[in-house]
Amino acid sequence: MSPAISASSANPPSSSPARGSRIQLILVIAMHAFTQLVRMKVFYFLAVFAVIAIVSNFFSLPQHEGPESLGVNVLRSIKSWSLGTMTLFSVVLSVVATALLLPKDVEDRTLYTILAKPVPRFDYLAGKLLGVLMLMFVSLFLMDLLMTGVLHVRTSMVMADRIAMAEAMGYTPVEITSLKIETLAQGPTWSLQGAVFAVFLRAVVIASVALLISTFSTSTLFTTIITFMIYFIGHFQADARTFFLQSDTPGEGTFARLFSLLLSLILPDFQLFNVIDSVIEGQVMPIVTLVKLTAVGLFYAVFYTLASWFIFAEKEF
Amino acid sequence: MAETVPAVEIRNLLKDFPTSFRRQLLRAVDGVSIRIEAGEVYGLIGPNGSGKSTTMKALLGLVAPTSGSCSIFGKDSMKVDSRQDVGFLPENPYFYKHLSGIETLRFYGKLCGLGGKQLTERINELLALVDLENARDRRIGGYSKGMLQRIGLAQALIQEPRLVILDEPTAGVDPVGSRQIRDLILKLRERGITVFLCSHLLEQVQEVCDHVGIIFRGKMVKEGRLEDLIAIEDQTEIILRNATPELVAEIQALASRSGADCLRTGKPRTTLERLFLRETQGDDPS
Repeated sequence: MSPAISASSANPPSSSPARGSRIQLILVIAMHAFTQLVRMKVFYFLAVFAVIAIVSNFFSLPQHEGPESLGVNVLRSIKSWSLGTMTLFSVVLSVVATALLLPKDVEDRTLYTILAKPVPRFDYLAGKLLGVLMLMFVSLFLMDLLMTGVLHVRTSMVMADRIAMAEAMGYTPVEITSLKIETLAQGPTWSLQGAVFAVFLRAVVIASVALLISTFSTSTLFTTIITFMIYFIGHFQADARTFFLQSDTPGEGTFARLFSLLLSLILPDFQLFNVIDSVIEGQVMPIVTLVKLTAVGLFYAVFYTLASWFIFAEKEF
Repeated sequence: MAETVPAVEIRNLLKDFPTSFRRQLLRAVDGVSIRIEAGEVYGLIGPNGSGKSTTMKALLGLVAPTSGSCSIFGKDSMKVDSRQDVGFLPENPYFYKHLSGIETLRFYGKLCGLGGKQLTERINELLALVDLENARDRRIGGYSKGMLQRIGLAQALIQEPRLVILDEPTAGVDPVGSRQIRDLILKLRERGITVFLCSHLLEQVQEVCDHVGIIFRGKMVKEGRLEDLIAIEDQTEIILRNATPELVAEIQALASRSGADCLRTGKPRTTLERLFLRETQGDDPS
């Protein structure tokens, strides 16, 4: 007797195993999607990022300040290049990875074997999205570590140079302290960590948009193109909303407001994430801004995931 | 006597698909009803495009019936809970190429809520059952067609289901692999597991199934016990070993005297599959 198929016959009515919780199921699918993406060697991109982070030490942004601002420019360059690369990586990968995972499962018919198990369709979708987000989080965390490390070393060097220059120019102790504070503001600050988190939130939103598109799209290419279009349109959403709200035509006020509301609901406002630019300039990101960004990011992620579920629940394979 | 719950019950299943350009509907399944009792091996046969796979997909909740209903052990197949007792092997399955055999089974086991030592033991049993112990750590991407079918069968059995649905389980598999899968189906039957098999390989269905249904252009055209369907009621077969020509002539004369017609005498033939297996595997051809 083969033990592999004897147990169920011994006690057929109660042979079904107890189901784990829904959260465990989502985590199983998420870990699988994460592993799948990691084994596609996406982390090779981190090597490219490391090169960019190091090379950005030698780039110079246009400098409008006087010689007393010497070195600050390099710190801004490191932040600008690093955050720019993080944005590029997170947006491209979240779109492509999410757009790839669902159609590939349908095409390879692996989806049949998964949905033929006791797996609710929502759990499958949420798991896939979570897997992509886990990849984003780990990637951005590693890139953040690298950027912070490079920035820390370079800030120490710039600080030493600037203090030496200030002392040579006869700055008072108060002025030197002020200079130190100004230099540290350009280094690895909590606001910079907030900016990296904002990059992650933007990836969360764009990945959930790609998830929604992929539930009704017939190809990865279509999903990728449409998602990128929404991403670019999202950068003009705030302008369009302002335009409609400023409409002075009598009787169109209510319509304009409704349209604006609908537009805000459907299309994410990616301009909100432009706070990253001010962090590059050395400004402090208020905690309120971060909370607001988190709330907006989560709202869109939940909204798009639920919309994906409504479509996917009715989809036939 | 109380009526037992059937393993599969499909009632008047009708499925229409919209066509791409015209607004006409394509009727893939047209009023099909199937009842499979627990422990039976049921074969659904029919040509390509006759509605076999759509019927199976409806049973698994992958497509929604236009009308009619499907249930598994009394549970509506559109509900997730009904899949607790089902193992499914799709036609030409492609599993995740980045996973090894053992990782694949672990993934599917976890989807069914299994884990820990119980899952590890189950995986080891199944790998032994499907004869993939030597390939357990190899990536699925390097598996042959037959190995893919066998790992597919193992994933279908991972949660010890009471019903196994197999869609063209031997499609594209060589005779040896096909024989292994057939033997596995027979083992399932011995253990009382219900098997719903869909194939257009008639000889294979004949070898393993108790009941068959013939589906053509979406309609069930014939259904019943295999023995009843293929038996020729007015003919009798006698197979003799070491019979002399005189004995055969005597039997023919006896049959003639009693008013029966002797339609054919001669040596029975083995099948090409059996000949192949004898030459390659050393099996008994009888």
